[in-house]
Amino acid sequence: VPLVKRELMDGAYALLTFAHPEVARDARPGQFVMIKAGTSPEPPLRRPFSILSTDGADSFTIFLKAVGAGTRALVAMAPGELAPCLGPLGRPFTRPADGGEALMVAGGYGIAPFLMLAGELQRAGGRGRVFYGGRTASDLQLRDAFGPGTPLAAATEDGSLGYKGRVTGALEAYLDSAAPGVASPTLLACGPDPMLHAVARIAEARGLPCQVSLDPWMGCGVGTCLGCVVPIQRSDEPKPKYRCACTEGPVFDARGVVWPGETASAARRGAGAVA
Amino acid sequence: VNLAVELAGIRFKNPLLAASGTFGYGVEYEDILDLSTIGGIVSKGLYLEPRDGCPTPRIVETPSGLLNAIGLQGIGVSAFVRDVLPRLARHDTRVLVNVCGDTVEEYAEVARIAGDAAGVAGLEINISCPNVKRGGMAFGGDPKMTAEVVSAVRKATRLPVIPKLSPNVADIGLFARVCEDSGADAISCVNTLLGLVVDVEARRPRLGFGTGGLSGPAIRPIAVRMTWQASRAVKVPVIGIGGIGTASDALEFLIAGARAVQIGTANFVDPGVYERILQGLREYLTRHSLTDIAQVVGTLQYPGAPGAAS
Repeated sequence: VPLVKRELMDGAYALLTFAHPEVARDARPGQFVMIKAGTSPEPPLRRPFSILSTDGADSFTIFLKAVGAGTRALVAMAPGELAPCLGPLGRPFTRPADGGEALMVAGGYGIAPFLMLAGELQRAGGRGRVFYGGRTASDLQLRDAFGPGTPLAAATEDGSLGYKGRVTGALEAYLDSAAPGVASPTLLACGPDPMLHAVARIAEARGLPCQVSLDPWMGCGVGTCLGCVVPIQRSDEPKPKYRCACTEGPVFDARGVVWPGETASAARRGAGAVA
Repeated sequence: VNLAVELAGIRFKNPLLAASGTFGYGVEYEDILDLSTIGGIVSKGLYLEPRDGCPTPRIVETPSGLLNAIGLQGIGVSAFVRDVLPRLARHDTRVLVNVCGDTVEEYAEVARIAGDAAGVAGLEINISCPNVKRGGMAFGGDPKMTAEVVSAVRKATRLPVIPKLSPNVADIGLFARVCEDSGADAISCVNTLLGLVVDVEARRPRLGFGTGGLSGPAIRPIAVRMTWQASRAVKVPVIGIGGIGTASDALEFLIAGARAVQIGTANFVDPGVYERILQGLREYLTRHSLTDIAQVVGTLQYPGAPGAAS
């Protein structure tokens, strides 16, 4: 598919917009595309990217940081150049159904799925709040992208913007201070694994529902290479099962995730259905 | 021009097959491409029972390649026969089952079950997976075990039997001959090369299993060389495999002696690869005033060989 627009940002971040009516029409928050710059064998594989936004008809946009060969090649594309693209793929985030607040916790480029989710929440009359963390202020390139209906709390490890410390610290401070509502909030997280793990722990300690978007290396994006599997144990299963992050995720109920060195909280508690 | 090929008694509408382990069970691609454009589909490796596979991480990108240790995670042959074959029957393509086993007896039993099912055109025998502790490459790296497995499968089925060879041997021709002598109808050449990628910060292998199998364009020259050697060593047809992503890549194998080829890692990169390669093959034949893809098979003008251009 052709690149139609490229916007380079500070900190090696970029917005890339591609023409792809099917993705533009069908994408749901948390779904992704597999995409690669051109058809050269180097680097060999496509990369998965959360879909940041779509215009609903013709094109979609991804938000990425140039960190390796694949992302650097994408960011170096010029408008008009072609990128093989497959999507939309994977299972999206699920909006809280009971009117509880959706607390969207993002680390760096993990902010991507939440722009669309925040928009959906707005239209559906739901409540959303974003916690957006990074090392420094330039990691929070999309901090002004959310509308006034979605409060956003910034967190930087160096204190250059917002809360000084990890984004999970800002989340806990909010949870401690928030007046108990009728419906409990739902945590939705996308970012590096240690952040996801920390958010899952907070959710477990406070008895809150939590969905995490996992980001392992992917080969095919459609469930055939079995390269991106993650161990998931639902509460009705005797042992963890390898599930493809591309087709059964990337969004999983945090209670089923087997974090490194741990067992799934669903297994520890042994009760409660895990979606 | 004619792209159809006949091989081991199976007629394929074109010489492009989807390689085992890179195309799932085929049905995953139903909505992404027209499966009828593919000559044949080789299933993911199947044992008697479902398998969990290797610990994660399972894949790592390498220069022009992919190192994997999936470990034959799969649904087992019975589930494949029950749930997948009826869906594949809706598509005009040939289905080959990739047969695995921990023991010679298991290979034979899987072959018997797959061979009795409707809609299976042939059996590929996996004696070359590098990511399992038993079976796989452990059998395919030993001529005596290779003969035992191929003979046992031969006795268990009337379907064409196609052992898939490991490139991790010194003399591929020797293994090709052992397979032919044990009753193989064709030979798939080759599986992945054993590799290791090290995380230098952690000083550990990148893959959860440790070593893995290398595939993709990185291994193509080795695979072409082995296809050439194997096809000279035996009379049965050879199916070339290793890093094919373009018509030119496929032609290298065909000219070196392969009667057909399999597309592997390229499926992950671009499922539209079949359409592109078929178009390229047609253009090549037309440009060389040829009418049948068989006319290029084994036409390598090797320096010093009789008939080579001087």
